[in-house]
Amino acid sequence: MNRQVERAATWMYRGLWGVLTKWFRVPDQPPTLPIGSGESVQSFRPSDGFLRYLKLQFWIWLFFFDAVILFLWFVLTAAMPIAGVWLLPVALAVAVVPDVVAYLAIHLRYDTTWYVLSQRSLRIRSGIWVINEATITFENIQNVTVESGPIERFFGIGNVIVETAGGGQRAAPSQGKGGGENLHSGEIAGISNATEVRQLILSRLQVSRSAGLGDDHSEMAGWSTKHVTVLQEIRDLLRR
Amino acid sequence: MSNFNPHNIERPDPSLLKYYMITALLTGPGFLVLALPLFFKYETLKYRFDDDGMSMSWGILFRREIYLTYRRIQDIHLTRNIIQRWLGLATVSIQTASGSSTPEMSVEGILEADALRDYLYTKMRGAREHHEAEKLPQDQALILLQEIRDLLRKKAE
Repeated sequence: MNRQVERAATWMYRGLWGVLTKWFRVPDQPPTLPIGSGESVQSFRPSDGFLRYLKLQFWIWLFFFDAVILFLWFVLTAAMPIAGVWLLPVALAVAVVPDVVAYLAIHLRYDTTWYVLSQRSLRIRSGIWVINEATITFENIQNVTVESGPIERFFGIGNVIVETAGGGQRAAPSQGKGGGENLHSGEIAGISNATEVRQLILSRLQVSRSAGLGDDHSEMAGWSTKHVTVLQEIRDLLRR
Repeated sequence: MSNFNPHNIERPDPSLLKYYMITALLTGPGFLVLALPLFFKYETLKYRFDDDGMSMSWGILFRREIYLTYRRIQDIHLTRNIIQRWLGLATVSIQTASGSSTPEMSVEGILEADALRDYLYTKMRGAREHHEAEKLPQDQALILLQEIRDLLRKKAE
């Protein structure tokens, strides 16, 4: 029984998803990165824990939101019973419709988020209404942060944030469009192996000696191994 | 992708004007205020891509021209909102390491936005192995060293 309901729900969701992706022109393939020969690309999504985490947030938010609406409705009905009865459908609609939309948005958000890593760069796709694809090469990364809150840790997920040079205040979320987002960073949110991904990024970052904007710590700056071997040969010739 | 050559891009696609007008219409009464500047922006918008960098210029009263080199690009954002997706457009936002949080350059109205983004990606720092050609002065040093070695070798013989 339960499985049937679940299957029906998935079918409904898939059907809806199909319509929405068609109408909203949402790409259903993961983004790609141009790569050189012999290099590989790995693409992954946030973990299941991220979906559960978002849903928990959703239920908490829903509980308070609907409690407020019902409370207001009770107060109104107690004061004016007839108006209360008339307003019941309105109150129910206000209570239910945003919940459904938010629930769908959570699923869509989860389904449209993709992270792609290559040997040299990473690409993050996110968003439903506005699809944003950020591309950052590892050489330009200044620092890598791993973050996770207590609830996120309970679900076994973490966020990896990579930042590039250049500032700009993180715009306040209240500033509406594009607010709350710093374009000089990329966030790999809700993955179960956050520390591994950080290690992976750091190891690829260390391959390149010129990563970031800092000083070149290599003592042999400007000299490649070829130069050194020739110099050694010269020394050996002179020694003879 | 193989046919894509950014050097040929000079003007945005006409559908950009359509997009500008739709966004202006969506503001309702703001249409009258927004439509004219956007129209002139579209009319005067020019792009130029060369081997090292790119420039864009626009404006009728206050002209503005931005030039940046590909090597200085920090990150590239490709954004498409729903209207842009319907019209097949995209905004390619290019950021350098400057202090502002807004992108240095927003390339709008290019139909082959994906190809352009990938072209810029291949030009930006760290996307490829450093070419030997870029180390020309050092290579001259290497050649010089090799010459010294060969001379010494001759002498030794």
